Amino acid sequence: MKLKIKYSLIFLLLLFFTQYVAAEQGLTLLPNKVLAKNFNLKDMDGVTHTLTDYRGKPVIINFWASWCPPCREELPSMNKGWEKIKALGIGMIAINVGEDADTIFNFMADYPIDFQVLLDTSGNIINEWPVLGLPTTFVLDKNGYIVYRAIGGRDWSSELLLNKVKALLK
Amino acid sequence: MQLLARQCYYIFLLLLPLADTFAAVKLTENSTTQLQSWHLTKGDFSLKLIQRLPDQTRAFFQGRGFSKKIANDIALSCVFQAIGTNIGTIKNAESVSYSLKDWQVRVKQKIRKIKLKESWKEQWQKADVSSASKIAFTWATFPTKQRFAGAGDYGWGMISFDLPPETIFDLKVVWKQNNKLHHAWIHSLKCPEDR
Repeated sequence: MKLKIKYSLIFLLLLFFTQYVAAEQGLTLLPNKVLAKNFNLKDMDGVTHTLTDYRGKPVIINFWASWCPPCREELPSMNKGWEKIKALGIGMIAINVGEDADTIFNFMADYPIDFQVLLDTSGNIINEWPVLGLPTTFVLDKNGYIVYRAIGGRDWSSELLLNKVKALLK
Repeated sequence: MQLLARQCYYIFLLLLPLADTFAAVKLTENSTTQLQSWHLTKGDFSLKLIQRLPDQTRAFFQGRGFSKKIANDIALSCVFQAIGTNIGTIKNAESVSYSLKDWQVRVKQKIRKIKLKESWKEQWQKADVSSASKIAFTWATFPTKQRFAGAGDYGWGMISFDLPPETIFDLKVVWKQNNKLHHAWIHSLKCPEDR
């Protein structure tokens, strides 16, 4: 009997502590694939890029700002992830929301970003996409449909996440 | 004695399925900043509210182009940093959603609503607030509504309770997990002092 009580208490303690375990990080598979809204945005050099230019390859699109703490935490992992996927024909774009090229340039001295950075200075594009908070990341398939979404930062150097993106190459 | 132990054991077994229906709220204090935080967890939902010193908030908004007056108005409106998370596991996570319109603030037995970002923006319609400042405010504040569909989804941002510094209040947090409505009270939250 004492043993039963002991095990029950241990079980209850385990149940309590599981409430405080860090959240697992996944990608949400969207039940209904939606064609991503097209955009024309300038890069740091003033060159305009269009989303449809990326058709034919999966693309990871991240919305961020330099003053957003989770974005600052996430971007270095995106840079590491980029090193792993850039040769595979997968695109990666970081869309900055509401800041100018000078601010981003200064930020990138501390947080190097080797993949494409585009500027949504007016905040119009983020309002057209299904975004309610920063950072939010979408994974598009080769035809431009949104397949996965991640609200909040992720570790994009993780093979678990990258394998899902790589699977879209098939 | 043995009978009592057995009865306790059976009561425990009967209560076990209800364990998940009780929300846990944990209060901690940062030893360096002395700022307090309240952490609510229940099922797949976690909400952390961390006090923000008015000076932190003033600096943030003045740095984003807001006038001293508006930055001060926001800073003195009882601002917390909020972090909402879906803490479910990848295999079993259920969607978690909330709308701040459902949340309630109780001060001295009086119930009121949270001051939403939409209400702040309405207030500034006649003020000279630049588009860049408005964009920063929009995305730096806790979303009015959100749905964390999968494990690890989270949102963060400033939340304002529109109360003077050092006010003590209770907060009713309302959310849905897998479309089932839940609520929990966080008691005795304290608006940060203006030090």
